Amino acid sequence: MRGSASQLRRAISLGLITGAVMLYLVAVGIVLAFSARNTITGVVTLGRLMLAAPPLAAGYVVARRGTDLAPRLVAGLLLGAVSGVIVAAALLFASAVDIRHILVRISPPLLAFLAFDQDASIGALLNLALAAALGLIGAVAAVVPSRVRRPAITGVIGVVVISMLEPFLRPRLTDFKLEGVSRFLFTHKGLSIASAIVVFAIFAVGSIAWPRVRARYRARVAAADPGTQATIRGVTLLLLIVFLLALPQIAGSFLSQVLVFVGLYTLLALGLNIVVGYAGLLDLGYVAFYAVGSYLTALLTSPISSLGVGLPFWVALPIVILGAAVTGLFIGAPVLRLRGDYLAIVTLGFGEIARLLFLSDALKPWFGGTQGILGVPPLFGVAKVSVPILGWQLTGPTLTYYPLLFFCVIAAIVATRLKYSRIGRAWNAMREDEDVAQATGVNVTNYKLLAFALGASVGCLGGAVFATHLASVFPGTFNILVSITVLSIIILGGMGSIPGVVVGALALIGLPELLREFAEFKLLVYGGVLVLMMLLRPEGLLPDRVRQQELHEADEEEEPGADGGALTPAEQG
Amino acid sequence: METHAIDPQAMMGDEGGARLLLEAHKVTKQFEGLTANRDIDFDIPRNAIVAIIGPNGAGKTTFFNQLTGIYAPTSGSISFDGVDITGMQPHEVAELGIARTYQNIRLFQNMTAIANVQVGRHVRMRGQWFHAIFGTPSIRREEEEVLQRARELLELVGLRRRTENELAKNLSYGDQRRLEVARALASDPKLLLLDEPTAGMNPGETRQMTDFIGRLRRELRLTILLIEHDMKVVMGVSERITVLDYGEKIAEGEPAEIRANPRVIEAYLGKQATA
Repeated sequence: MRGSASQLRRAISLGLITGAVMLYLVAVGIVLAFSARNTITGVVTLGRLMLAAPPLAAGYVVARRGTDLAPRLVAGLLLGAVSGVIVAAALLFASAVDIRHILVRISPPLLAFLAFDQDASIGALLNLALAAALGLIGAVAAVVPSRVRRPAITGVIGVVVISMLEPFLRPRLTDFKLEGVSRFLFTHKGLSIASAIVVFAIFAVGSIAWPRVRARYRARVAAADPGTQATIRGVTLLLLIVFLLALPQIAGSFLSQVLVFVGLYTLLALGLNIVVGYAGLLDLGYVAFYAVGSYLTALLTSPISSLGVGLPFWVALPIVILGAAVTGLFIGAPVLRLRGDYLAIVTLGFGEIARLLFLSDALKPWFGGTQGILGVPPLFGVAKVSVPILGWQLTGPTLTYYPLLFFCVIAAIVATRLKYSRIGRAWNAMREDEDVAQATGVNVTNYKLLAFALGASVGCLGGAVFATHLASVFPGTFNILVSITVLSIIILGGMGSIPGVVVGALALIGLPELLREFAEFKLLVYGGVLVLMMLLRPEGLLPDRVRQQELHEADEEEEPGADGGALTPAEQG
Repeated sequence: METHAIDPQAMMGDEGGARLLLEAHKVTKQFEGLTANRDIDFDIPRNAIVAIIGPNGAGKTTFFNQLTGIYAPTSGSISFDGVDITGMQPHEVAELGIARTYQNIRLFQNMTAIANVQVGRHVRMRGQWFHAIFGTPSIRREEEEVLQRARELLELVGLRRRTENELAKNLSYGDQRRLEVARALASDPKLLLLDEPTAGMNPGETRQMTDFIGRLRRELRLTILLIEHDMKVVMGVSERITVLDYGEKIAEGEPAEIRANPRVIEAYLGKQATA
């Protein structure tokens, strides 16, 4: 009985926290902003889902412990009710007392939204009941076996994602003569009830079928003779390449623009990963290399820059890479003796110094001060490329995509090869214990400089492509947020993991582009995501195998069927 | 790297050189007024097992750290295998052929066992970053050889095959000690420095370790320097013992002489007797 008493105590304290989280989401205005987006028309909006996520997730967490069914469900219900009481009380309070001069986002529309367009007292009761129900549902999710839970969660995520993609999917479906599908799926805003059910079913069935199909496929491949296996690998790779090459055509111009940003940040993150993930040097001034890559490219290729030489991009590129590598050495050399936090602070300073140098009046004759450098020619010298046979017209983002893809692939290959070589191991050893690494024979000075130079070379590629893509460079672009974002990508994806970098870039760069409402709350969401990651999955979404072992040794024995890469509802928010 | 198997010839270095592998002359180390080592003369003959003992704070580890380049001596000189290594960087000393283990095991905790040994091999590898990036045949061959060699070393120190992909920190205490020795051996050292290799071990494990030290000398023809706190360990295995106390050398000789030396008894054994 003592066990269930402590579970109830835990439910109450978690409920208080959950309520506070919900209030916070409401008070910063993110919930109302997202309530403009219908997930299922007339039924639920994204804002409502966002507010529902905390009690759901907390109910799941609190009910995961324990053996008896009833106390676990009661704990979930209690937790939801406690959080509901907090929200209801806040609603009543805000309706009675005007606190808008303190919390500017608590507007009448927000209160109306929170009260479900009812009277405040009825709204409060509704909130209480809803939160309690959500807590209970979360608890039920924890109680049911994972073969039920997993399809349900996947289905819900599927519905949310498809509805979020509506503005992009609809025009693309029309372009591909699939208006029927489009009309079935989407009302003018959001999914219809029928299409939501269909989408849910497709995703749920998919999540059941997919592991089986994959297992059977893997077993077949494993049973095949080596020659066939090599063929299968080759065909898979070929299909992947064809897909990546055709992607801008499928995605269309706007999504290609998003892909270009994702590609840029993937490239930057691949470079920073060498410095932070492999060598363990926490560099917060990585934006400097991005800036150097951009400015050098602009100087060398723009006919109206101060140099005015107007070199073709591919001729300028080796000089840009060399220049960035030298910058890496310059920034690396003074910080050789610094470790950990000190290194982070000093590199942070260097990043700002780089930006201020490009901005400065003293260097205006070269870098153009606030006006930057204009007239950077497109990457291939022409703004439009026609692909024969396929009839593609590549221009703007659909054109920039290809060199970016090329650079990303090169950077990923370089990073992988370094990682599994003498150099990568020496970096890892340095990250683990610098003194011992040195006593074992690693020349730490050289290896630190090498990490900075190689990281810089990869990062400058991003800058180079960026300059040609915008046809100009401005110092304002290269602020500290770039460094922070790139670091967040690495942390989210998983330190030292290359697939993780791609996933991290898709999540942190791609998602905000798709959800315009995000823009205002981007940093808040980044912060929240990072905190959640550190708590729930410190090794990142797609971790390096070794690093996963490092952080999850203990849990593995506890729950063998731990949810793989599936996002919890809380992370989705 | 020329050899695949654990070939004694590869590890013993140049036998034709002087009789002494290491010579330290009047080594003094001062830390802001505190003299940790004063005028220490010390040498190690080739293929010998010698030990430095002394009570806590006697300056043993400071001396060790000067041999491996972690500290530069305030005055005096150290030469190793005919090369003056006074004031050299640790990685340079490692490359010349001095490898060490640590009193409180210092492995690369979050790397696998095999990767720890591979890092130990670092100084004998030639692959550079550009080789790695382009995946040249030479670096592939080298990597294969190193993997092979690392596996042999794990076997030599008695680590089971399935532990090779375990993280170092997840190994048992005894296995971590073994892994540290394997990492040190991977660089084909001429001189192996063992800092309290039996610390934290029970009598059975301690005997195993001392047997293993003897085997290393015999089979790999290594020269070994032990630092020990526990007199009993060094008495059995080493042929010469140097005793430090308050940063100075107070005695040197065969185990039997040391045991009988009144100054040692006063400084060291006396302390133990009262403890």
